[in-house]
Amino acid sequence: MNKTDQLIEELSRLPAAVNRVDYRQRGYHLEVRLQAGQVPAFAGLLRQREFYLVFVSAVHVSPAIEIIYQFACFAQPCRILARSTVAADGTLPSIANIFHGANWHERETRDMFGVVFTGHPGLEPLLLPEEEADLKPLLKEEGALKPADQIRRAPDEEVQDTKPSTTAEPGAKKPNVEHRQ
Amino acid sequence: MTTNPDNQQQSFFLNMGPQHPSTHGVLRVLLEMDGEYVRDAEPVIGYGHRMQEKLGESRTWKGFMPYSARLDYVGALPCSHGFIGLIERMTGIEAPPRAEYIRVITSELNRIASHLLWLGAFLLDLGAFTPIMYTFDDREQVLDILEDVTGSRLTYCYFRVGGVSRDIDEPFVEKTRAFIQRLRSRFKLYDDLVTGNIIFIKRVQDIVQFTPDMAMRYGVTGPILRSTGIRYDIRKNEPYSVYPEFDFEIPVGETGDCLEVYRVRLREMEQSLRIIEQALDRLPQGPVLAKTPRQLKLPQGDASFAVETARGELSYYLISDGGETPYRLKIRTPSFSNLSPLSELCRNVLLSDLVMVLGTLDLVIPEIDR
Repeated sequence: MNKTDQLIEELSRLPAAVNRVDYRQRGYHLEVRLQAGQVPAFAGLLRQREFYLVFVSAVHVSPAIEIIYQFACFAQPCRILARSTVAADGTLPSIANIFHGANWHERETRDMFGVVFTGHPGLEPLLLPEEEADLKPLLKEEGALKPADQIRRAPDEEVQDTKPSTTAEPGAKKPNVEHRQ
Repeated sequence: MTTNPDNQQQSFFLNMGPQHPSTHGVLRVLLEMDGEYVRDAEPVIGYGHRMQEKLGESRTWKGFMPYSARLDYVGALPCSHGFIGLIERMTGIEAPPRAEYIRVITSELNRIASHLLWLGAFLLDLGAFTPIMYTFDDREQVLDILEDVTGSRLTYCYFRVGGVSRDIDEPFVEKTRAFIQRLRSRFKLYDDLVTGNIIFIKRVQDIVQFTPDMAMRYGVTGPILRSTGIRYDIRKNEPYSVYPEFDFEIPVGETGDCLEVYRVRLREMEQSLRIIEQALDRLPQGPVLAKTPRQLKLPQGDASFAVETARGELSYYLISDGGETPYRLKIRTPSFSNLSPLSELCRNVLLSDLVMVLGTLDLVIPEIDR
C-alpha cells in the first residue's frame, strides 16, 4: 500500500481532503473532497499516476449540485471517488482535455443537471434531443431535495484517515442490524 | 471523385445509421468523408434513451432488479450480478455459498453466449455468412440451459438479494458438462474456419490501433483493453462473489489491433469454461436463498459496485438517503466508454474498415443509451 500512501500525500497537497474508506462496505478505496478550482489539478495528477476515468456524474442536493468523479487504476486496486460542489453560478472546470472520455460524461451531466463545464470543447446535448436540452430530468423537485448531510454516512462510521480499515468494522455494521427486523 | 486520400478533394458528410445493419442497434455515426476515407467519425447516441437512472430513483431497489437485466440484453446476468452485489454490499446481507457458485456458473454461461453472438455477428459484418450459423447453434445450447433454470432466454431476472430464485438440478449440471465438452471441440472448428483464414487476417490486422494510453484517457475496458497487453479484469483486480476460489487466467494480447481483440475474446470463452467446470466440480450443498426481511431499506450513505461484463467494466454507484428508493443511482456502462474514442480511432480508415471497428467494439446500444 506504499503507492496509495504516496498518492494520499500528493492529493493532500493539492489541497484536497482524502479519506481512506472500507472497500468491503463502500466499493471504493479513497474518498476525496475537492474545491471546484482544484478539479483540473486533481485530474492531472491522476492522469500522471496512470489512472483511468470510470465516470463523471452528479447528484442534486441542497445547497448546490455535487459533481462526482470515479477513477480506478489498471496497475493496483485503488478506486477513487471524488466530490466537488459546483460554483455559485452553476459552473465547474472541465477535465475533458485531460481525460478525453470525460467529454461525453460531462455532456451527459449537462443534459441531466444543467451543469456547465467551463473549457469543454463542445457542450452539446448527448443523450437528450436538442429541443429538450433544458429538461434537466435528474434535478430533484422542491419536496424531494435533501441537504447534503442527509445522504452521507453518519460520521462515527467513517473510517479515520490512516487507521487500517478493519478497526472500524464493528461500528460500521450497526445500521444493517437495525434494518434486519 | 477519387479514392486517393492525398488528393485535395473537398470532403462531404455521410450519415451511417440510425438504421444501419452494421451499427447493431439504433446508433448513428456522422461521418466526414473524403472519397472512401473517413476523416472524422462522430457517434450520435441517445436514440434508445430510457432514462434508467431516473427509473432507479422512482422505484424501490427491488423494483429496479428487472431493469438491470435490460441494460445489456446480450449478457444480462453479469449486469444483474452487479446490482444485486451493490444492494448486498449496502445492506450487509450475504448469499449462501451455493447461491454464489450458481451466480458464477450462470454469469459465465451468459458471457459465453454473448461472445458467441459477437463472433457470429462480427464475421457477418465482414461478409462471412457461414460462421454465424455455427455460433448460433452453440449459443442456442446455452440459452436452453439458462432457460431451464431462470425461466427466460434473454432478459433474466434470476438473482435475488441473498441468493438466486431457483436451485439448479442434476439435469442442469449434466447439460452444462455436455456443453463444455461440445464447445471445447468446436474451438478447433472455429480456428480452422476463421482464425487461420488469410482473407479474415488481411481484413482485420493492423487497421486501427488500441493503446493503453487511449484506454486510460477514455476509460476503455474489457477485451479491447486486454488486447493491448494490460492484464486488467475486475474479476481478478477487484474480485467479487466467489471468483477468487477459481483457477483461471486473464487472456491478454500484445498488438492491440482488431485481430488481437478477436483472439482475446476467443480465449476468454475457454477460460469461462474452466471456471464453470471448477464450479460444477466443487458446487457446495445447502440453501440458495438467505432469509431476508420483506421490507428492506437501504442505510443512509453511498456505495459502488463494479463487475466485469462481457464488454468490460460495469459499475453502479448508489446514494441513499435512508428511504425506500435510492436517492441517486449512477450506472456506468462499458460500451459507452468503449465507443467514445471512435473519432480518434477511425481517422483516415476506409469506410468498410469502420464497419469492422464497430464490430470489434461489440456494442450493445441500449447499454450506451441507458
